[in-house]
Amino acid sequence: MLNRRLLRNLDFVTITTTVILILISLVIIGSATHINTPGEERYWYVERQGTFALFNVIFIIILLNFDYKVLGKFANGLYGINLVMLLAVMFIGQSALGAQRWIQIGPISLQPSEFSKLIMIIALADMLDKKTGKLNSFKDLIPIFLYVGVPFLLILKQPDLGTSLVFLAILFGMLFIAGIKSKHLMVIFGAGAAFLPIFWHFLKDYQKMRLSVFMDPNVDPLGSGYHIIQSKIAIGSGMLFGKGLFGGTQSQLNFLPENHTDFIFAVIGEELGFIGAVLILLLYFILLYRGVKIAGEAKDNFGTLLATGITSMLTFHVLVNVGMTAGIMPVTGIPLPLMSYGVSALTTNMISIGILLNIYMRRQKIMF
Amino acid sequence: MLVKRSNYRLDVLAIIILLVFVALVSRLGYLQVVQGKYYGEKADGNRIRLAPIMAPRGMFYDRNGIPLVSNRPGFAVSLLPISGPVPDDIIVKVASILNITPDEIKKKLSQHSGRFEPIRIKSDIGPDIVTKIEERRAELPGVVIEIQPIRNYINNELAAHLFGYVSEINDVELEKAQEKSNEYKSGDIIGKFGLEKVYDRELRGIDGGNQVEVDVTGRPVNVLGRKETVPGKNLTLTIDYKIQKAAEVAIDEQLTYLQTKSEFRNAKAAAAIAMNPKTGEILAMVSRPTFNPNLFSGGISSKDWKALNENPNNPMNNKAISGEYPPGSTFKLVTGAAALELGKVTPEEKILDTGKHWIIAKGNAEGEALGWINFKEALTKSDNVYFYEMGNRLGIDNLEKYARMFGLGVTTGINLQGESEGLVANQRYKEKVYGEEWYLSETFDAAIGQGFQLTTPLQVAVLMSEIANGGYRYRPYLVSKISSNKGEVIKTFAPEEVGRIQLSDRTLTLIRESLRDVALEGGTAAQAFRDFPIAIAGKTGTAENSHGSDHGWFIAYGPYEDPRIVVVVIVEQGGFGAGSAAPIARKIMEAAFNLNQDPAAAQQTHKPQTAL
Repeated sequence: MLNRRLLRNLDFVTITTTVILILISLVIIGSATHINTPGEERYWYVERQGTFALFNVIFIIILLNFDYKVLGKFANGLYGINLVMLLAVMFIGQSALGAQRWIQIGPISLQPSEFSKLIMIIALADMLDKKTGKLNSFKDLIPIFLYVGVPFLLILKQPDLGTSLVFLAILFGMLFIAGIKSKHLMVIFGAGAAFLPIFWHFLKDYQKMRLSVFMDPNVDPLGSGYHIIQSKIAIGSGMLFGKGLFGGTQSQLNFLPENHTDFIFAVIGEELGFIGAVLILLLYFILLYRGVKIAGEAKDNFGTLLATGITSMLTFHVLVNVGMTAGIMPVTGIPLPLMSYGVSALTTNMISIGILLNIYMRRQKIMF
Repeated sequence: MLVKRSNYRLDVLAIIILLVFVALVSRLGYLQVVQGKYYGEKADGNRIRLAPIMAPRGMFYDRNGIPLVSNRPGFAVSLLPISGPVPDDIIVKVASILNITPDEIKKKLSQHSGRFEPIRIKSDIGPDIVTKIEERRAELPGVVIEIQPIRNYINNELAAHLFGYVSEINDVELEKAQEKSNEYKSGDIIGKFGLEKVYDRELRGIDGGNQVEVDVTGRPVNVLGRKETVPGKNLTLTIDYKIQKAAEVAIDEQLTYLQTKSEFRNAKAAAAIAMNPKTGEILAMVSRPTFNPNLFSGGISSKDWKALNENPNNPMNNKAISGEYPPGSTFKLVTGAAALELGKVTPEEKILDTGKHWIIAKGNAEGEALGWINFKEALTKSDNVYFYEMGNRLGIDNLEKYARMFGLGVTTGINLQGESEGLVANQRYKEKVYGEEWYLSETFDAAIGQGFQLTTPLQVAVLMSEIANGGYRYRPYLVSKISSNKGEVIKTFAPEEVGRIQLSDRTLTLIRESLRDVALEGGTAAQAFRDFPIAIAGKTGTAENSHGSDHGWFIAYGPYEDPRIVVVVIVEQGGFGAGSAAPIARKIMEAAFNLNQDPAAAQQTHKPQTAL
């Protein structure tokens, strides 16, 4: 149970950074959903996101009472639940924006692919923990790829290219720390690059379009390219100091679509300017740097691998999301952790950070 | 524990994370700091639109300040491109509301290059269409209703050929206009005819506009700035509304009378001019058939346009300046003046009219024979045989010389477009066109204004003015002053002498006295001017027309002693001038001398200070 020694070992930097980011997110979601202009239900998003954040805090406090090691015991069970959820999405899921990603449970619509990332991290950490030091040949890697491959393909099928790419980021981040040979890593990347054209063939048309417009948004300025163009305009026009909170014309006049979810960073760029955007990126950097630190200080391999997976996941999210809004990454529908509106992602990310706290809190071997 | 290099690999991971952030911050720096201004302009381009406010065109006033052409408020439908081209489904919806084809809208859209201004689709829409669009506002993003001044010709057809009409600039006109100045842009309303065209640059003013902030649906949410419009300049015309109105009514009544109550059923076209002989100011100018310029103001319907185009009498033609007719007996003023001035005849000499000329058996119209007559009797009674003999004595070259001295055969230089030159009968013309030598019979024809002779009513008005004023040729004009909308005079127009014919007093007096007798008992216009209280001078004319009945002329000036108005009337296919044209001229003069309202006022008009 929680004792004073454990509480003293809490990572207050991570907690503070996370709290600040969530508070900022509530303000920016408010701005993006026009909380400043009269209209019914304008508080809905902020209230919902805030409420879930509070519930998650309680949930995390409860989870902190348990050593993260128990996760290893649930790894295979979680993996199984994950597959069931992803299959459920395939058969009873709801479509939105061209992809089948949601399942409705009572009043809550869940996005299983969000949770499946964390589940994959836990399951993979458990698997790699047992294989540490035994990753000497390609043969050793095959079971790992199969293990990750099944949920990966189910998500790719939804289709959710973004999340499946997150899976790859998690996989390679964790393999790297688990000690995969550099030579093997090179071969895998080389082969991956060689198979890219074939991979392209399996993409859905809208995904191909997204990648094409990423190369040149003006091929379809009112369609797929619209998001990129408007997002770049929003960020760029924020200039050094921004247009002020609630003052972003791109966002407030609705030129910027999805501005409270995937493109929320464009609102930050527009309203808070370069300075505000960089300060927020700095908070993310602190958070991720703590993630690496926690991975290094974990008391066991399982903790190191868990922290590595979580950090890899969050890093990839920040890179792809901010890169997408700034026009250097294709549009893949990956939300910005802790910032984008979306309670599934918020919950996943907060629990992930809770796990980081758990690992750090228990970094010292218990001495009697 | 992990393999030994795990700590080293965690450092690599940290460095990768750092590089990710360096990359992202660099990118933000590039977008927000390096290119910030560029994207700022793009964002403004998204949200800021110029909603133009059209400057009202200048007004037209008559010489006494009575407004003749003004503007009235109307509504126009425009499309505002929002962050890109207007979507097809919107075009289809708007087309169905306006009852036009989507292609017409696409054509208008394609003519516009500017992205940030609304493109006018239809002007002067009715309140029902405004309501329809407002009701469906939510499904019609980018469709805006603008308030637009619509040109209003207060008296509809009155002086339509003088005022002209306005409508939207077309591609050809735009290209031509932009060569000269950048004041013109697509979608502008410009003058296309008449004074509207000639003085377009003065009349059009400078458009203003509101700079508005719009949301993604094109709905204005905020006015950011305003550029005031500068109204166009006003024209004060030389036209006298009262005379113009009387002339219009008189022509219409006379044409109806001729068509219904006489043998001249085809009398459907006519022209009339009232001019001040001492200045060249046009007091009234009418052409028939006519059109209603208001039809063009909001864009003419194809049905109306078709009707105008298919009328064989060309309603869009100002016959007072562009119609070319044989001058008929009105030309006897030229022949007579030439004969007297060159001493080919004396006022006293009598010539025997036996009904036919003795060299060539050409006679009078009705075959009458007037016996021994002198110049005055010949002109008053419009005797052909006498003037054949004048032609015989003068020769075609002298006739041509005098015709040109009076200003025939060239445009008068009035400030309207489309003026014709007419034709002065001459040997070179016949040689050139027909390759034949000149015959004496053609000199005979020329002497009485038939044959090759062609004049416009305005040229004849100038000719009559020269008789009235002693030989001064003034450029006829329609605008006396241009003033700003605040009332300050920017430009005034003074009479301009463009020619002078030297005529002796003896000649002038003799011709004038002959013309006076025309309107008196025994003269050709005696019946039309019976009991007219003011002495006038007049001349009837009948222009032979190979395509139908003859055209009737009547030209006059008055008062006889102090001419202040010249009136020229021609009725196409109206037969004798005395019966067709003279009654119109009488009514115009009645209006000019205020005889048509109040007998007491009529007395006063004898004095020169009356408004004319």
